[in-house]
Amino acid sequence: MFRIFRRPIIALAVFGMIFVASAQAADPGEISFSRDVLPILSDRCFACHGPDKANRKADLRLDDQKAAFVSGVIEPGKPGESELIARIESPEHDEVMPPPKFGKPLTSRQIDTLKAWVAGGAKWGRHWAWDVPIRPNVPTAAGAKVRNPIDAFVVARLKAEGLTPRPEATKAELIRRVSLDLTGLPPDAAEVRRFLSDDAPEAYERLVDRLLASPRYGERMAWDWLDAARYADTNGYQGDGERTMWPWRDWVVGAFNEDMPFDRFTVNQIAGDLMPEASRERILATAFNRNHMINGEGGRIAEENRVEYVFDQTETVGTMWLGLTLTCARCHDHKYDPVSRRDYYRLFAFFDTTPVNGAGGSGQTAPVLDMATPAEVEKQKKTAAAFETLLKVVVAKEAKLREAGMVVKDGKYDTKLPVIIESILRKGPNDRAAQNYEELKKYYGSAEPEYLNQLDELRKLKSARDEAASKITRVMVMGEAPQPRETFMLTRGAYDKREDKVSAGLPASFVPGKSESTDAGRRMSRRDLAEWLVSPENPLTARVTVNRLWQTFFGAGLVKTTEDFGLQGQLPSHPELLDWLAVEFREPAANSGARPWSVKHIVRTIVTSATYRQSSTAPEELWARDPENRLLARGPRHRLPSWMLRDQALAVAGMLTPTMGGPSVKPYQPPGIWEEATFGNKAYVQDHGEALYRRSLYVFWRRIVGPTVFFDTPNRQNCSVKTVITNTPLHALVTLNDTTYVEAARVLAQNLSKLPETDDEKRLAEAFRRVVVREPSGNEIEALRSALKRQRGIFAADREAAEKLSKAGEWPGVPGLDVAEHAAWTQVCLMLLNLDEALTKP
Amino acid sequence: MNPAQFDFETIRQTTARAMTRRALFGQAASGLGGLALASLLAGDSKVNAADASSQTRGIAGLPHHVPKAKNVIYLFQNGGPSHVDLFDYKPELARNRGIQIPDSVVGQARFSTMTSGQTARPCLPEISKFARHGQSGATVSDFMPHTAKITDELCFVKSMTTTQVNHAPAITFFLTGSEMPGRPSMGSWLTYGLGSESAELPGFVVMTSRDKEASCGQIFYDFYWSAGFLPSRYQGVKFRGGGDPVLYLSNPAGISREARRAMLNDLDRLNAMTLDRVHDPEISTRISQFEMAYRMQASVPELTDFSDEPENVLAEYGPDVRRAGSFAYNCLMARRLVERGTRFVQLLHAGWDQHRNLNTQLKVQCTDTDAPSAALVRDLKRRGLLDETLVIWGGEFGRTPFLQGKIEEMKSWGRDHHPYAFTIWMAGGGVKPGISYGSSDDFGFRAVTDPVGVHDLQATILHLLGIDHTRLTYRFQGRDFRLTDVHGNVVKGLLA
Repeated sequence: MFRIFRRPIIALAVFGMIFVASAQAADPGEISFSRDVLPILSDRCFACHGPDKANRKADLRLDDQKAAFVSGVIEPGKPGESELIARIESPEHDEVMPPPKFGKPLTSRQIDTLKAWVAGGAKWGRHWAWDVPIRPNVPTAAGAKVRNPIDAFVVARLKAEGLTPRPEATKAELIRRVSLDLTGLPPDAAEVRRFLSDDAPEAYERLVDRLLASPRYGERMAWDWLDAARYADTNGYQGDGERTMWPWRDWVVGAFNEDMPFDRFTVNQIAGDLMPEASRERILATAFNRNHMINGEGGRIAEENRVEYVFDQTETVGTMWLGLTLTCARCHDHKYDPVSRRDYYRLFAFFDTTPVNGAGGSGQTAPVLDMATPAEVEKQKKTAAAFETLLKVVVAKEAKLREAGMVVKDGKYDTKLPVIIESILRKGPNDRAAQNYEELKKYYGSAEPEYLNQLDELRKLKSARDEAASKITRVMVMGEAPQPRETFMLTRGAYDKREDKVSAGLPASFVPGKSESTDAGRRMSRRDLAEWLVSPENPLTARVTVNRLWQTFFGAGLVKTTEDFGLQGQLPSHPELLDWLAVEFREPAANSGARPWSVKHIVRTIVTSATYRQSSTAPEELWARDPENRLLARGPRHRLPSWMLRDQALAVAGMLTPTMGGPSVKPYQPPGIWEEATFGNKAYVQDHGEALYRRSLYVFWRRIVGPTVFFDTPNRQNCSVKTVITNTPLHALVTLNDTTYVEAARVLAQNLSKLPETDDEKRLAEAFRRVVVREPSGNEIEALRSALKRQRGIFAADREAAEKLSKAGEWPGVPGLDVAEHAAWTQVCLMLLNLDEALTKP
Repeated sequence: MNPAQFDFETIRQTTARAMTRRALFGQAASGLGGLALASLLAGDSKVNAADASSQTRGIAGLPHHVPKAKNVIYLFQNGGPSHVDLFDYKPELARNRGIQIPDSVVGQARFSTMTSGQTARPCLPEISKFARHGQSGATVSDFMPHTAKITDELCFVKSMTTTQVNHAPAITFFLTGSEMPGRPSMGSWLTYGLGSESAELPGFVVMTSRDKEASCGQIFYDFYWSAGFLPSRYQGVKFRGGGDPVLYLSNPAGISREARRAMLNDLDRLNAMTLDRVHDPEISTRISQFEMAYRMQASVPELTDFSDEPENVLAEYGPDVRRAGSFAYNCLMARRLVERGTRFVQLLHAGWDQHRNLNTQLKVQCTDTDAPSAALVRDLKRRGLLDETLVIWGGEFGRTPFLQGKIEEMKSWGRDHHPYAFTIWMAGGGVKPGISYGSSDDFGFRAVTDPVGVHDLQATILHLLGIDHTRLTYRFQGRDFRLTDVHGNVVKGLLA
């Protein structure tokens, strides 16, 4: 078990060089192998003396207890006689370890740690994350600050640091914080009134239960899962064709809403098709593994594509469930973690079984779950046939036009046609960009009226065909090829450099003795993998999952490297808390009333803790001492994810469309974004009406150029589990200038105009409350009043500008509203939406 | 936390924020209220400029040595310009016209699927004429008359090699050091390491263009300028060819600059009140980022306003220079950007992919790019900027010295992708002018003398900017990553 760190983490500045002084054991008795020694060995020694046998030097390995001691470089209890210590202390350039050219010398503190460890008997251990978590004893800490075991661990640590938790946040702050966290939306006015007037001690818990029961909860939780699962509405790469995976997205929302136990959630997505009762729903769940990009680029080798897809599937599962970065092991044994190349390709083999062959680039490559209606199919066939028929006619005509332009000059081919026309004709009409049609029209003008008519007709038929095709919903899912494929280890991951044959199996060092791929001759399947992931002997899945949930609410995981629980990942800030949460997730305490693997139970436990409920306001010294809030001595305070900012703006303006699920929608986007990225092949056709105001979750995601209204979001090209929060001028430009925000400000302003109160101050206070939920202070009201006054002055003098501003977006206006007055209020509302506090979780 | 692990980035940001906050509190303590604070921020005060973004500072300890170059302009030619048609003159190809290129030359070379099934590999000589130019006597095709005039400024590398045969992986390899998307691009590494000299413009700017006929379907993936795992503010900012050069740069219709200024003053004031209450240093960063956005709204239009450019300069870049989104326009923009302190300008021009249209398309491609590239080098030189600006011109691979297609079907002549030898050129920024470095064999097939790999080129670029490529690293997923992975040697022979 891990002890609490004794010393604070202090940032020191020395001559501009800044470093973290971390916990340092004072005497040998306090050295922990996994906390103090292993990170040093891993970072400074394993590259040459670790698991990677191909690159191992001097036949010495320090990642394995037996090998390390057999080598004789460590004499337990006798640092003076240990070669290991002699070498790290050596003054000789060609003797000292690590070698100077490795570029990572040991600090004297690290040398002291290793010496103290050897002096203390060189007690060996394992990397903490490889041991199955055991429910730790909850520290005894009493008082109002401890509402559940989370707080006991946090307070114990704070006590050791000489710190105390912050008081509870105000009720207004709490309701805004927890509503945004659990539903991705601010609380509505009725909910705020209800909560603020509920003086019962369990008012907050009741609020949390209402939020957890809201269908908005599933939509909020789905976002992070979609980021990790690289969900998108197109294939990526050149062409970037559309796909219809949205039924899977809706399945995820539903699974969170019904609190599907995480073990079932896992097995369904990884192996739903292989389960005895493979219902349509379970097969739909397996679309998870088909969310990877698809490369339809000409000149690509199908098998190379196929292997890329399987790499992606393997590594995505590795990151999302195991918190391991497997990519390195494509080419060589992992340098730090006990995953050999063989292990990698054995995991790879689990996914190397589908009939997908990598050819083509369709976003509906079989196996698919057909969710199309007969009418949709009929329409698709008809429109495709009509297009094909006319296409043949046009192709023949264009060949003639091109032939007619050809001449041979000086023995070289040449054409009378303008270069651009020749080029357009050569490319053919199948995938012609709009501007090329225009060029042809301009050039042939009245000379070829029939041909130009045919071109017009062809364009219409093409959009009819594409429209009909895009309405056919087929979800790519997992399925096994009738003929099992042989899987080989690949040299440096190259699809055509095959080495040994391998069969599916679990990583040897995680399942000693059980990794054999055949169990009485039976091939292991994805089902075996899925079941192992959620088995009691798996040390990682529960930890990795609760850690990501922690990150959702606190902005960073207890293990900050959410993507890496391996030796090079960071150690958990609160190891025992992490393990407690992991065990509570897998096997909840009997008195909790929760089912095993209940995500809602863990979420509820986190957000009802005193730790979460702390005020995020803190004295300057605390911000300086612990800028990242690793100690949890204050509540979480972070800029909201950009998708949530959009939802918040729509919600406070009363514009949000509550519709759930279905095909993705296309709200406002500056013109030309898709066209520029795809050379005109994809035109963005913005939706109208309520589709403009759907939640961000339902916004169409083109993989090569994601929705521009979002920032700091993963690009949905590969698995990404890490929260990114940056602060740049480009983000300010989005929330100040994007139509979404300007329209929301305009609509909020006109909503205020309908209030019975006509007093400016009351209206300003109401606007402030709608955006940030709390009451404004006197100074704030004063600032708002003067802002309004200034903007009134500006727009009274420029009614033309006011006219323009009062037309932002497509939401209907309010007849009879004075434009200058409306514009001034719009500016104030836009300012409110851009307050640091509005952009930030309180 | 782990004693072995330093999270420099976070600490640096934190310290930067803490310092700003102290600066802000200093103002508050000396009796200035929120309003005064707002007007202070609105101005060009040093406090503000220093904080304007952590974009402006690099990391401690850099540069590692005295740099030769401050800025880079990379004129990336997507598609693979044909080295044997443009720079690498091989008389042997003419002598063997239509004759199978010897197996001894080809060896086990792998090609894209476009020709991997083709057994006939007849030599195809240059489709236009070569001549020697300048003191250096460099060979340049008559398709590139303007480049031919500046050969004495140029350093040709005729022995480039890469490991990739398809466009996207090959371009990704050149720009990020890995063929798989997801690593930080060169511009991100450089702005991360060295910071930017501009407080009003991004340190890393990307601009794209393509041939007018849209003959080429190569798209510009955003991972060509991605920050990868570096903080996202080091990502290249893509200036667009149409509409606002920077997304969302313009105020919404009806909001004037004055109205915005007035609103920002009040916003700053309200945010300062929150800062006073909450003490989160991120709030002061946000105040300055909003101010930086406001300044960018002025500085970018100034940047794109060519009215201060003399006519003769504009003429030199060619007739397309006024067309936003053209290569010529982007070249002039590149010069204006480095003048204003942008560290890395990455132009991408697509269209060099002549599989079946060598006779028609290659010339068009040259016409689009030749004059602007040469004008840029001359313009930089005239302004004394060439010494501190490294200009690089080149694609992701070359093209096969043999024909793709049939020799009797001249109208559809082409060349396939060729990674085993190709040519790029560099100018300024500490490279030797007027030389040709390395060479390919008699057929232009393989680099035989002084081959330069992609990681070598990257190591050299970093070296010119004062960086030891083995020491500019960033920890991600438990590993210290660098642009050159575990490879790369500085090519000493290129250094002035």
